[in-house]
Order: sequence, then structure tokens, then C-alpha cells
Amino acid sequence: MEELILTSIAIGIKSVIFIIGMFLLAAYLTWIERKFAGHVQQRPGPLHVGWHGLLQPIADALKVLTKEDIVPSGVDKVLFYLASLLAFVPAIMILAVVPFGQPVNLFGFEIKPYITDLNVGLILALAFGSISIYGVIFAGWASNSKYPMIGGLRKAAVLIGYEVALGFAMVGPIMQAGTFSLKGIVEAQQGLWFIIPNILGFVVILFAILAETGRTPFDVQEAEAELVSGYNTEYSAMKFGLFPLAEWYIATFVLSAIAVILFFGGWNGPHIFGPISPFVWFFLKLAMMFMFFLWVHWTLPRYRVDQITELAWKVMLPLSLLNILVVAIWIMIFG
Amino acid sequence: MELTQIAFWTFSTLAVLSAIGTIFFRNLVYTVLSLISTLIMVSGLFFTMGAELVGALQLLIYAVAIVVFYVLVISTVPEFKGKAVDPKYMLLSIPVGFLIFLELAYVSIYGVWQSNTGIFSPEVIEKIGNAKAVGTMLFTKYLFPFEVASLILLVAMIGAIIIGRKEEKQEAQG
Repeated sequence: MEELILTSIAIGIKSVIFIIGMFLLAAYLTWIERKFAGHVQQRPGPLHVGWHGLLQPIADALKVLTKEDIVPSGVDKVLFYLASLLAFVPAIMILAVVPFGQPVNLFGFEIKPYITDLNVGLILALAFGSISIYGVIFAGWASNSKYPMIGGLRKAAVLIGYEVALGFAMVGPIMQAGTFSLKGIVEAQQGLWFIIPNILGFVVILFAILAETGRTPFDVQEAEAELVSGYNTEYSAMKFGLFPLAEWYIATFVLSAIAVILFFGGWNGPHIFGPISPFVWFFLKLAMMFMFFLWVHWTLPRYRVDQITELAWKVMLPLSLLNILVVAIWIMIFG
Repeated sequence: MELTQIAFWTFSTLAVLSAIGTIFFRNLVYTVLSLISTLIMVSGLFFTMGAELVGALQLLIYAVAIVVFYVLVISTVPEFKGKAVDPKYMLLSIPVGFLIFLELAYVSIYGVWQSNTGIFSPEVIEKIGNAKAVGTMLFTKYLFPFEVASLILLVAMIGAIIIGRKEEKQEAQG
């Protein structure tokens, strides 16, 4: 009994640290995105609140939290409230299985920079990432209005296509590592990164992450030009804020972490930064990956819905299957 | 009480409650929502029993991949129509439902009866891991049922494609 309480408290504290850290990080990811978008479009981005707009995320958070929270009278109230949480909570739950580095010894304590190291971590991460899609779909339905509804249905159609391709593309690294544990996959890449035989799988995963998080070439669910603002048209204040926070920042960040773990050796790298070098390498790679998604987002125009589903079933799925074949041959030759 | 025991009672209570909700909610979308909840709770039960792989796959395949299709279809029903109730099928559905319940109960009890006879005791599974145990069983002892299941799915897929095709042709003519 005592042990149970102690473990629960330890896991609780750790989870709270992870969640608060993620919130702060997500707030500053919005700043990074706005700066990045600004410079992509040849303008400076936020400048006035703090040095180079460094306090802008805090001002934004205060603004969003203190705004009037309007609930339209035609909506299904329970589902309307539930949907914004349903999008947000599973996205943050992915953090439970993503490792951010090796265990390190600090002041005599062993600090593990992950919450759990489950043997099925990768499948769980995929599942949580997809459950948060229900938030978008139910938000569309609960709003009881045309544009949100179309947005939610589009998201469901996009998800169905890319979920399959994403799952198959992850099979390559799993085959090479022989485990579903994200930590185990990183440890299997100490020699060569898995990007080498898995290049096709990596391409598929890039597309699938863009589609799952609804970033620009695939943002048909909110398509401002056609659907006003898509599934979150009827939302306001913090309920509105949770959707982009969950999808564009937390989900993109965590899925970039998973992509780095699967293909770029996670925290493996030369020990040139002393004891913290695993963290430095991991966050450097992660930042590169995240910036790549921002770059794509702010450069490309949007696909049509039929182009997206066609791409998913006719190009991405065959490519991911071909990737499995290539990796199988690679394993046969190089062991 | 141990952690697994607390988890078991929590998950099973919530699973039963949301299963009841699935049957009795009159709003179609709420029905789907409580179906999702049931599936997630059942996956939690798998986790408490140490079958992590099955639990995670239950979450990924049933709670997400399959129910998203249901949601896609059901959420196209407008809200006021989603609340309609038609009792005329009750007469047929109660005996059929009871028969299905008997079959499932028989299979579950038989499964519990048989579960301890295989070579995979909890200690062995702890050592080699869930994925290996499931894979070994699937591709040796249950290879034939596995292949039959995939054949049935293939037939269903071809059927779906043929049905989908026909409609497209008619549209093109009209």
C-alpha cells in the first residue's frame, strides 16, 4: 500500500512537470512559429511586447483566457465543451510514452527523462495521437452548423487515409530494432541511423504527420478560404485556443520527437557537450524537424480534399509497403 | 488493495457503464462516444492483465481506426434526426441479441477454461515480451484461422470495391 502511494506520487509529480513544461514550451512554440512565418513572408513578426516580441506568448495567453466565452445557442453543449478537451488531452498524453533522453545521474539521483518505457510505446503514441482527432470531428458535429461539420468530416476522411500509411511506415524501424519501445529503438541506432534503408518510410511519415496535425498542405479541415475557419468556427476564447495548441504545437512537437527517434537516432551523437549532450542532440534534431514542418506550412498552398485522399491511398500506402520490402531485403543482407 | 486491482475495478465499472450508455442513449453521436469509451476501457482491462500489445492494438484499431468510420457516417446525420427512436425492431432484436449473448458467454467461459493450458505462462511472457508471444501463437497454432480471416476480409474488400464501382458508372451515365 505504502509503495503504491509512493509510486503514484512520484509518477504524478513527474507528469505534472512534463505537462507544465509542455504548456510553456507550446506557448513559446507559437512565438517561434510567428517569427518564422514572419521571416518567411519578409516581415519581422511580433516585435513590440518584450525583446523581439519575447513576451508575446504571455500576452496572447492572457488575452485568450480573459476573452468572453461565447457558446452559441444552437450547439450541443456537452459535446461542445467535451470536444475541445478531447482534442487536447490525448495530444498531451502522448508525452507519457515519449523518451527525451537517457537516464542521467544528477546529485546522486537517477533522473529518467521519460514517464514510462512501455514495450508497446510506439503503438500507444500512435493511438493517442489519433484519438485527439475525435475532438475535431465532434467539434464539427456539436457546433450544429454547416462549415464546422464539413471541416470535421474532412478531417475524418484525411485521418482514415494517413493513419494506415503512418502505421505501415513505422514498421521499417520496428523491424530493424525488433521492439516497439521507443527507448529500445534509439538504443538500436547507435551505429547507423535508421534513415538509411528507411528513406521511403521517412517520406511517408513526413506527409502523414503534416496530415495528422492539419498543417498547411493538408489543412482542409479549417481551410479559411472555403470554410470560414472550419471545425472551430463556433468556438471562442480558451476553448478555441486549445485546438491549435493541441494540433499545431503539441501534436506536431511530439510527433516530430517520434520521427527523430525512429529515423535520426534520437539522442545518439558525439559526446561533445559533456553530460547533457544527449539532451542537446535530441532537442537540436527535434528543433530541425519542427522547423521543417513550419517551413512546409508557410511555403506551400493547400491540397484539394480529393487530391489528399488519392495521395494517401495511391502513393503513400504503396510507398510504405515498398519501404517494408526494402528494409526486409536490407536486414537479409546486412543482418 | 493492489494497483492492478483498483485499476481492474475502475476500468470494468466504467466499461459496463459506458456499454449501457451505448445501448440507451437516444442521440446517435452520444452512442458512438460511449462506444469509444467502452473500447478504451476494455483496452485498459487488457493492460491490467499484462496483455499490453493487445491493449494497445485494441486502442489503435478499434477505438480509433474502426470507430472513425462510424463517426464519419453517423455525424452526417443532422442533430434533430439523430434523436429518432423506432421501437418496431425491438421484437426481433431482443431474441437475436440474447442468442448472440449466449454465444459470446460460451466462448468467453470456454476461453477462460482453456487459457492456462498453453506454453505461455505469465513468467515466459514476462521474459520474451508480448509481441513475440502473440506473433508465435498467430503464425503457428492459429495460422489457419488467421489466413481464413484475411481471406474473408479480402472478399469483403473486393465486394466493397464492386459495389462502389457500380454507383460511379450510373452517375457517369446519368
